[in-house]
Amino acid sequence: MGKPSLLKDVLKWFIGRPITIQYPYEETPIENRFRGRHFADLSKCTGCSLCAIECPADAITMEKLPEGVSVPKNPRRIYPVVSYGKCVYCYRCVTVCPFDAYITTNDYKLAGPAKLYSRDYSLQSIRGGEQ
Amino acid sequence: MAVDKVVEIPVSLEVPIGPQHPALHEPVMLKVYAEGEEVVKVEVNTGYNHRGVEKLTEKNSFYRNIFIVSRVCGICNIVHSDVYVRAVEQVMNIEPPRRAKYLRVLAMELERIHSHMIINAIMAEVLGYDTLFMYIMRDREKVMKAKEILTGNRVLGDYLMVGGVRRDLSEVDRERIKDVLVKLEPEVRKYVRVFEEDETIGKRLRGVGVVKPRDVTLHGLVGPTARGSGINIDARREGYDAYNEVPFNIIVRGDMDSWSRMMVRWHETIESINMCKYVLENLPSDGPAVPDETKLSRKFPVGEAFARVEAPRGELTYYVMSDGRQNPFRVKIRTPSFNNIINSGFSYIGYTIADVPVILTSYDPCISCMERAIVTDLRRGERKYIRFKDLSMGLK
Repeated sequence: MGKPSLLKDVLKWFIGRPITIQYPYEETPIENRFRGRHFADLSKCTGCSLCAIECPADAITMEKLPEGVSVPKNPRRIYPVVSYGKCVYCYRCVTVCPFDAYITTNDYKLAGPAKLYSRDYSLQSIRGGEQ
Repeated sequence: MAVDKVVEIPVSLEVPIGPQHPALHEPVMLKVYAEGEEVVKVEVNTGYNHRGVEKLTEKNSFYRNIFIVSRVCGICNIVHSDVYVRAVEQVMNIEPPRRAKYLRVLAMELERIHSHMIINAIMAEVLGYDTLFMYIMRDREKVMKAKEILTGNRVLGDYLMVGGVRRDLSEVDRERIKDVLVKLEPEVRKYVRVFEEDETIGKRLRGVGVVKPRDVTLHGLVGPTARGSGINIDARREGYDAYNEVPFNIIVRGDMDSWSRMMVRWHETIESINMCKYVLENLPSDGPAVPDETKLSRKFPVGEAFARVEAPRGELTYYVMSDGRQNPFRVKIRTPSFNNIINSGFSYIGYTIADVPVILTSYDPCISCMERAIVTDLRRGERKYIRFKDLSMGLK
């Protein structure tokens, strides 16, 4: 019988620190440019619907803006809402937008019992702009 | 006393392996007929994972399809989008800049590294060598990090666009990817030594699943499976993207068994690491690698294109036909696993049942790539598989 070829490594890692990251108790190292949660910035969005047309997963729907929300340039008063459950995070909407209206983050912690949409984040963006 | 009963005992035993089985990672069914321990016949049954991607591409626009075809296969998603994008570029008559071509090669070679590492890890797991499986997967994670730096996601890159790539590589990131590759190479060389020297691996793999060069050409096997049997075929030799400028060797081994196929993959991994290093050191800066996606043409000329690429599992071909409208008229996908797995039934005969998962893993099966339609005639109760010819003509 030959000698166990990995024995040296096994002993080294047996006394060393574990490699496994105990997610969600521990943070996973993530790139700044990782394609995570993204949403439309209503101060820039014009409601042209190009992102909804180009989305390969049909995850973007155009919705009416709620009453009382004032936006600078959006004559039809519609804005894109991303369904994060359907989205494949290809960022086609981000790159195809002629007004550069999408805000991108590297947030990937989207698992949860409720359906997630970008509605609140988008409306927050215009409120943040007003303050 | 007269005989009034005859008891017939079947000569062979039918053992269904799959579609859910601990040794298989994807839903495929191998119907194994065995006499004692010896396999006498194997039927490969598929159809558990059919998604109709080819039809879906006809219902979506050319640009949306780039993201749809990359979902055909999780592990080789960039090669799928690359070959589709090159076919569309041929139809639209667009030539991407050299920098974009080099970045495409980098992304595809990173993908080849992690694909070959995962199948070798799975092979170790199938053999019962779980420690090796864990160690290879740990080091594969470094490549996934390199891919995350380059494309923005660990697995699904979505990196390609007609006329270039979708994000450029900064100097800092270039050094980081180079650093990952420098750290990875000694680890890979260590695993190559383990596969060469370990007795258990040798006993389970050597001389198991021998595929003679004649069988390779007869059954149309491609990729590392063919190269492990001494057939020197590689689509990269065609020189698409920047493969005509990046130096590389084609690994061919003549042992013809499962071990030979795994060793081809390991040596290709080292070759790919060297190619990635070359690309990172010689990255040209001749033009913007990232096209402005808002300004890409919305008009597609009438035409057709055929493109091929060397995926980690073998030659992958796409045929794209445009009739001048927004959606392609036809997209035909021929994946390497389709050839390698469906035609591989002959190679199990004569080995034991315990060897079946080993031989299957040595072909690097990608089940989601190779699903094809089965038509069941409800009136007559007949089932039949659709041939290539019928698929290209449309279902009647």
